[in-house]
Amino acid sequence: MVKISVLQHAPSSHLPSRPGDPTPTSRNLDPLMHPFAKARERTRALNAAKIERIFAKPFVAALEGHLEAVETMSRRPESLTAIASGSWDGGLVVHDIAERTHLMRVNDAHKGKVTGVCFADEHRLLSCGVDRNVKLWDTREVDENGAGPSEARKPLSIFPGKTAFNSIDHHRSDPVFATASTIVQVWDETKSAPISNLTFPTSTETISAVKFNLAESSVLASIGSDRTFTLYDIRTGKAERRVVMQMRSNALSWSPTFPTSVLLASEDHNLYTFDVRNLSNPSHIYKGHVAAVTSCDWSPTGLEFVSGGWDRTVRIWKEGVGTQPEVYHTKRMQRVTSTLFSADARFVLSGSDDGNLRIWKAKASEKLGIVTTRERAAIEYRDSLREKWKFDPEVGKISRTRHVPKPVHKASQLKRTMLDARRVKEERRRKHTRAGDSKPKAERKRVVVAEQS
Amino acid sequence: MDSLFAKADAIRPVSKRRKTDKDDRRSKPSGSKQTEGGHDKTLNSVAHHTALPPSLRPSSPPPEGVKKYNHIANPKLRTQLTRQSNLAARQKALLKDAELLLTEDAGMIEVEGELEKTWRVSQSEVTQAAGQEAAKGRKEWVLDGGPYRSRYTRNGRHLAIVGKKGHVATFDWQTGTMHSELQLGETCRDITFLHDHSHYAVAQKKYVFIYDRDGVELHRLKSHIEPTRLEFLPYHWLLASVGNSGWLKYQDTSTGKVVTEHRTKLGACTTMAQNQHNAVIHLGHQNGTVTLWTPNLPHPAVRLLAHLGPVVGLSVDPSTGGRYMATSGQDGSVKVWDCRNWKGAVREWKTRGGGAELEWSQKGVLAVATGGSVNTYAKPAIQASFTGSVQPPLYLTHPIPHRPLVSVRFCPFQDILTVGHAAGLSSILVPGAGEPNFDSTEADPFENKRARREREVKTLLDKIQPDAITLDPEFVGSLAPEPKLTTAVNDKTDLTFARLPRLERLRVSGKADETEDGADAGAAEGSDGEAQPARTSKAEKEKKKMRGKNKSLKRYLRKQRKNVIDPKAVAVREKLEKQRAERKKAIAIARGEAEPRKPSALDRFRRPT
Repeated sequence: MVKISVLQHAPSSHLPSRPGDPTPTSRNLDPLMHPFAKARERTRALNAAKIERIFAKPFVAALEGHLEAVETMSRRPESLTAIASGSWDGGLVVHDIAERTHLMRVNDAHKGKVTGVCFADEHRLLSCGVDRNVKLWDTREVDENGAGPSEARKPLSIFPGKTAFNSIDHHRSDPVFATASTIVQVWDETKSAPISNLTFPTSTETISAVKFNLAESSVLASIGSDRTFTLYDIRTGKAERRVVMQMRSNALSWSPTFPTSVLLASEDHNLYTFDVRNLSNPSHIYKGHVAAVTSCDWSPTGLEFVSGGWDRTVRIWKEGVGTQPEVYHTKRMQRVTSTLFSADARFVLSGSDDGNLRIWKAKASEKLGIVTTRERAAIEYRDSLREKWKFDPEVGKISRTRHVPKPVHKASQLKRTMLDARRVKEERRRKHTRAGDSKPKAERKRVVVAEQS
Repeated sequence: MDSLFAKADAIRPVSKRRKTDKDDRRSKPSGSKQTEGGHDKTLNSVAHHTALPPSLRPSSPPPEGVKKYNHIANPKLRTQLTRQSNLAARQKALLKDAELLLTEDAGMIEVEGELEKTWRVSQSEVTQAAGQEAAKGRKEWVLDGGPYRSRYTRNGRHLAIVGKKGHVATFDWQTGTMHSELQLGETCRDITFLHDHSHYAVAQKKYVFIYDRDGVELHRLKSHIEPTRLEFLPYHWLLASVGNSGWLKYQDTSTGKVVTEHRTKLGACTTMAQNQHNAVIHLGHQNGTVTLWTPNLPHPAVRLLAHLGPVVGLSVDPSTGGRYMATSGQDGSVKVWDCRNWKGAVREWKTRGGGAELEWSQKGVLAVATGGSVNTYAKPAIQASFTGSVQPPLYLTHPIPHRPLVSVRFCPFQDILTVGHAAGLSSILVPGAGEPNFDSTEADPFENKRARREREVKTLLDKIQPDAITLDPEFVGSLAPEPKLTTAVNDKTDLTFARLPRLERLRVSGKADETEDGADAGAAEGSDGEAQPARTSKAEKEKKKMRGKNKSLKRYLRKQRKNVIDPKAVAVREKLEKQRAERKKAIAIARGEAEPRKPSALDRFRRPT
């Protein structure tokens, strides 16, 4: 007896049971059922890369309020939106970046430029300037005297110093702050004179920036005009270590997640991270700027950081990836003098020579606003596709290429040529000297000139 | 300062783990107390951002047989590669699990005992045994207007038919809904649906015309002159046509541009098939050659003398990923070819009644329509290599008296074979021909209007560029071959290190991953087990090399480029191989594991080695 069965699809399992129901779908993962799976996935990856570049519109807003270059910025602890900024014209503004309004505005906070601002706590703001004063302000909408945001305010207190201040930073928990002038001074908020002076013996430099460590809050780091990076401990009241580098640093920032990691923005176009346990060489070099890097700031996640440079660009780097940062620029943005990550790590702020404070998205193609689940899934799928196919020449090229202004492009070309030529010259020189006479030195080992303690 | 370091050690940056781990244990056993408290703010913040999402967390130990990357020095890269291959292995395992979800069973005919034959089963028996729905597939369309050709959509729901005298109709054969019916009044030679049933193309007397679902003429493709056969490549959105002038033309139906035109130089062509798995067009010609075409090559990728006399039927097996091709000649011979190796046919046989139309079903049933009957052959027999020209075991056969039989088409996802002939079309049931489980993302017979529209957009977005068509569809995303050009002469360059290309810089500094190359060399040099330490620079190797022990041949071989087939080097390699085998044998004999060969009288005729 021959057994015969003929294929038959039961409509009940493939058609919606009631009108309006979705049609049931069925899957068969046999690769023969999916010809060109790889080629189609590549096409999808290519589209994903293109879509990502199409949606990459990072500029959000420009905040006005200063007449001259924005020298310094600081975010309020425990707040996502409040940002204080100080300018060369002596003005001091606390911005609400969500509302794009001013929470506080003092036009002549200091005579000459405001060189540093930082929040003492939720409502009080410290600022220092070249007029040799540190001032403590109340940032509340209506302070005790009844002065509104735009009226002339009086500082809560003034701490007079002997020399112009370059930077200020507040202790994380104690009512103590540190200032940088020719020496590092530690002040108590309740006393009008510094409680201690910290300086490295034999140092005669000008300190340009000072920052407290975020985890071990009594440790302090400073950079100075003698191309130095110095570590202090305010409990011992001493400078612990000092490093002299090839070029001076312009800004520094402690990593929020790795307490021993510190980021330096150097005059030699590079950024360096140091592990303070081993100061003989930097743990990473970040190359990309084509002019001096003037400012840097870590993201609160510690996975990225932002830097602004003399080349009129803002760059966002991934921790541990030394090349190809995200580059932001606009026609009207001049030399970037200060940069800051927002507290939710979604935005980046840059203050520049043109007196504007600009808000950028930290991820250029991120969508602001409500993202539905389906949209989120699609975005994540596209991201993983780009990641998977990044070694494909076309996909990689699209997602890597950044348009930069012509001067920056030309400068980077020139820089590459010069560096190559220097490298080749060194090679040739080595070739024609006695073997082993001059060994090549890794670039990492060349950064630090001397380590002192 | 020390407290800062202690805090850092409690977190332990990944890259520094090895160093700090030891220090920690030796000097500060109390250091771990901080983490036990669970109130370390920094640690908590790190944990949140460094945690692996649950979907990526390994739920089980990595599957076995995963490739190891121990030879790669860079730890970051090694970890990434290991993770990737683990992920791939897991995916494969999960894919196997997903087979449980295939619910529907394929059709079949099962016989008990030797005396029963499947080919004795007639269509009436099959129809009786089939279910009510399936039995609807057995149909006879009696139509005027000459021999008919037909084509199904990719989901098997819609059928387009065209008669020689110009009768064109498209309809949903399951519900019996007619979409369009045209009397074109001129010779029509072929028809094909485009991406779905909303458009179809007809090869008419002079040009190819595109009609929409309702039969409205949308385009006249003037560049396709006197077309005889049409094929649509669904993933590339290409309409390929070949005509009496012998030109193969590709038209992109999404942009409307003619992509390429190939002059076959082999005269009028009436036989065409596509390989669904690599989108290569197969053409059969009057002089008995079969040529394989891709848009990016101006000449055929493969040219094959298949028959003595014209080729009249062609089909590529979709069930094996396009590995087998069947051809039939005017003289009635049918041949099955292995597309990986064109050295002669795998199987060939003669049919009665001259030129045969061929079609291979999704599950690998081959239908051959010759003379007055349709024969079908099932899978393992037709693809097994067989010398001699005996017909393979017949699966089913069905007589159709209306000669000539001009087209055979299997319906996708059904056990139906539609045969076009002089008196119309007849559909017969061939159990086991159709794939039972369809995938809704590719082709769904039950899809509704919205799903169809969505799929149209999705496939348009996923359209593959025509120049990506090659014989090997897997080349996309594979590694580029290593460049053969090099600036080095005898491993020495006059360029400075900084000017060298990256690969050579790596090679000079001894960091290039030449493990595969090394393994190859190890095999060539013999199984003496010279386990080289993983990373020694070239100079060091040369220095440590044993000299004066008859290694000139080996050195010669090493210096030969691996990718160049030089007869001399091949001969040397063979000789070495033979010597090694002899040595091995001698050792085995000495140990008593093998017996020495006894001399025989025939040894005098042996070729001296």
